Amino acid sequence: MFLRMIAGVLLRQKGKMFMIAFTIALGASLATAMLAVMFDVGDKVNAELKTYGSNITVVPKEASVVSDLYEVEGASSVPASYLREDELGNVKTIFWAFNIVDFAPFIEAHVNANGQDVTMVGSWYNHHLSLPTGEELDAGVVSMRSWWDVVEGRWLDESVAADAEKVMVGVALADELGVSAGDSLKVSGSELSGSYEIVGVYEAGGDEDGQIYAPLDLVQELSGTEGLISSVEVSALTTPDNDLSRQAAKDPTKLTAAQYETWYCTAYVSSICYQLQEVITDSVAKAKRQVAESEGAILDKTQLLMLLITVLALVGSALGISNLITASVMERSQEIGLLKAIGAHDRAISALLLVEMIIVAIVGGAVGFAVGFGFAQIIGYTVFNSSIALSPMVIPLVVVLVIVVTLAGSIPAIRTVLRLDPAEVLHGR
Amino acid sequence: MKRSTMYFRMITASIARRKSRMLVALLAVTVGATILAGLVMVYYDMPRQMGEQFLAYGANMIFVPSAESDGMTIEEIQDAIDEIDAGVESDIEYCYESATINDAPIIVTGCDLGKTYATSPYWQIDGELPSAPGEVLVGLEQAEFFSLKVGDTVPIAYLPPDAAAVANGVNLNGEIEGKVFQDFTVSGILDTGGSEEGYFFISAEDMESLIGAELTYDVAELRVNADAQELQEAADKISDAVPGVSPQLVKRITESQTTVLSKLSALVLLVTIITLALIMITVATTMTAVVTERRREIGLRKALGASDGSIMLEFMGEGLLIGFIGGLLGSFLGFGFAYLVSTNVFNSTITFLPALIPITIIVALAVTALACILPVRNATKVDPALVLKGE
Repeated sequence: MFLRMIAGVLLRQKGKMFMIAFTIALGASLATAMLAVMFDVGDKVNAELKTYGSNITVVPKEASVVSDLYEVEGASSVPASYLREDELGNVKTIFWAFNIVDFAPFIEAHVNANGQDVTMVGSWYNHHLSLPTGEELDAGVVSMRSWWDVVEGRWLDESVAADAEKVMVGVALADELGVSAGDSLKVSGSELSGSYEIVGVYEAGGDEDGQIYAPLDLVQELSGTEGLISSVEVSALTTPDNDLSRQAAKDPTKLTAAQYETWYCTAYVSSICYQLQEVITDSVAKAKRQVAESEGAILDKTQLLMLLITVLALVGSALGISNLITASVMERSQEIGLLKAIGAHDRAISALLLVEMIIVAIVGGAVGFAVGFGFAQIIGYTVFNSSIALSPMVIPLVVVLVIVVTLAGSIPAIRTVLRLDPAEVLHGR
Repeated sequence: MKRSTMYFRMITASIARRKSRMLVALLAVTVGATILAGLVMVYYDMPRQMGEQFLAYGANMIFVPSAESDGMTIEEIQDAIDEIDAGVESDIEYCYESATINDAPIIVTGCDLGKTYATSPYWQIDGELPSAPGEVLVGLEQAEFFSLKVGDTVPIAYLPPDAAAVANGVNLNGEIEGKVFQDFTVSGILDTGGSEEGYFFISAEDMESLIGAELTYDVAELRVNADAQELQEAADKISDAVPGVSPQLVKRITESQTTVLSKLSALVLLVTIITLALIMITVATTMTAVVTERRREIGLRKALGASDGSIMLEFMGEGLLIGFIGGLLGSFLGFGFAYLVSTNVFNSTITFLPALIPITIIVALAVTALACILPVRNATKVDPALVLKGE
C-alpha cells in the first residue's frame, strides 16, 4: 500500500515532481561542476604558470661562478666543468618524474659570427622523448621560452633533419650584423667553422637577443664539447613551500627520519632539486626563487578564490533546493490534511513524504551529477584545453549535499504542515 | 478608497498573511541576487587583484640608459616614472661597478637596499640587509667562492676608470696607483637561485664614497600594475619624453602574465555564467511553485468576476515587490561576499560598484516576473469551476 501510494504520487503529480527533480538536478550539477573544478584547479593553474619558464636550474658545481667572473673580464669563457649529456635521461627517473613537465639542456660557446664575437647557445627545441615509462614528451625551448616572439622566419624544428645544420639569431644581433631569416651566417668556433642558414629571428626581451641559438649537437661540434652540456633547465610542478621544506632546503641531513620521508615524498621544489642532484653527477640544482615562490603564492590565491566561489555556489544551490522542497511540501497541505482526517498517523505521513522526496532527490541528483561533470569538462576545455579530472572526493560530497539539503528542506515543512488542524486545512483557510 | 491604495493593500496583505511562503520566495530571490552581485563583483575586480599577485614575479619594466648616455641620473629616472599613468608599485635603481677582492674580479652593485623588500620579495637573506655604512650583502655563490660568513670583513678595491688609464706603472709596493680600498662587513648572504647570487650589494651612499663620484644608474627595475599593452604605451611615451632613458618591457613577465591572467579571468567568467544560469533557474522554479500553489485563489477570483488582466497585475505586483526587496538585499549581501573574498584571498579591499545595485534589482525583477507569468497564465486559462473543485 505504502509503495502504491508513493508510486501514485510520483505518477499522478508528474509535473510537480519533475520540477523538483529538475531543480535538484540543477543544484547537484552546479555542486558537481564547481567541486570538480575546484579540486583540479591547482594542477591546471600550475601547468599554466609554466609559461614563466623553468623553476629549477641544474649547473655543474662552481661552474657558474667561474663563468660570471670571466664575463667581467670580457675574455672568452670556458666553464671549468660540464654536466654529461648521457645523464639527461635520468631527469625523468627521479621519484617526482611525473611532475617534471619540461626540461632542456644548454651548452654555451663563444664563437665568431660574420666577424663579431658572440655567445652561441645550443639546446633542444621540440626534442621528442619516448620514455621507458611509455610517456611521450616534446621538450625544449619552444615551450620553455613561450614568451619569445619569432619576428621573422620560424622556430628550429628537430623533426626536420636539415634543421640540424641551421640556426636562429636574436633580434638585436640580427640588426647589428644586418642579417635576416634565410641568409646564411659564417660561424667559427674553437674546433670547427662553417656557414649556416638562419631559419628565424627571435625577440626575447633579454640578453638572448644578442645571441645565436642552434641545435645542441651543432654547438657541441663547433666548440669541441661533444657529449657535454653546461646547464639543464627544468620545469616542475611543485607544492608551495612551507616550514619543513625551508628547513630541508638548508640541510636535509638534519631532518628526523619521519620528516625526511615526508619531505622527500612531497613535491617541494627543494626535494625535487635534491633528487635531481642525486641522479646527475657533480651537479647543483638550484630553485629559481623568483619563479618558485611566486608560483606558490598565485596557486594559493587561485585555490582560495575558487574555494570561496564554490562555497557560495553550494550554499546558493542548497538554499535553492531546500526552498523549493519547502514550498512544494507546503503546497500539499490539503492532501496531508485529508490523510490526517481519514486517520493517518503523523509518522506515516512523514515517512510517505520523505521517501517521495528522497526518490526524487536520487533521480535528480544522478542526472545532475552527469550534467555537472559535463559542465566541468566545458570549463576545462574552454579555459585550459584539457579535461578536468574527477576527484574521488566529489561523489560522496555531492551525495551527502543532496541528501542533507533534501532532508533539511522537507523536515521543517512537514512539521509545520502536520501541526495544522485538518478541518481548517480542508476548509481551505 | 482609491484604486491604487486598494491594490497596494491587497499586495501587502497577501504577503503579510502568507508570511512563510513569501519568506521562501524572498529567500530564493535574495540568494539569487547575492550570487549575481557577488560573482560579478569578484569577476570585475579579479584582473586587478590577481595582477598585483603577479608582481611577485619581479619587475615587468626596466629602464636602461639610452644609446647616447652612459648612465641615468636619479632625476631622469624620476621624470620617466612620472610619465607612467598606471600605478608604479615599486621601483629600484642599480649601479653596477667592477671591483676586486684580493685581485679577484667581482661586481659590486649599489642600490637603495630598503627598496628590495618591495621589488624582490623572493630574496632569502641569511642575516640582515645592510643598514649601517660599510656593510655588504653577498650573493650565495660569491660567499661560497670567497668563503665569507655573516660578520666577516672583506676588503673591496675599486680602480677608477680614469686612474686605470694613467696607471700604466705599478708602484714599488705592487699597488696600482689610484686604487681605492674600503673594508666592508658582511651583514647577510643572499639566496635567490638567480644571477643575483653572483653579486655584492652595498648601499647607494657607500657606492658613492667607493667610486668617489656621484652615482649614475645602469638599470632601474619597475613593477607597474598594468598589462602588456598599457606598458608598451607607457614605454613609447617615456622614449619620447625622456631622452636619457630607454624603457624596455621584461617580456618573460609581461607575456606570461597576459597568458595566465586571461586564463584565470576566463575561468571565473565561465564559473560565474554557469552558476548564475543555474541559480536563476532555481529561483524561477521556486517562484513558480509558490505561485502555482495559489491556483484555487485565482479560480475563486475569476469566479467572483475578476478579469485575467487584473489577476495578472496583482500577482506581478507581489512578485515584483519580492523581486525588488530580494534584489536590493542581494546586492548588499553580494558586496559582502566580494569583500570577504578580497580580504581573505588578496588582503585588499574591493571597489564597490554602485552600478551593480540597479543591475541586480533589474535581473531579480525580470526573473521573478518571468517566473510569475507562466503559472498565473496557466491558472487563468483554466475554467474556474474546475480549479475550485480541485481537479
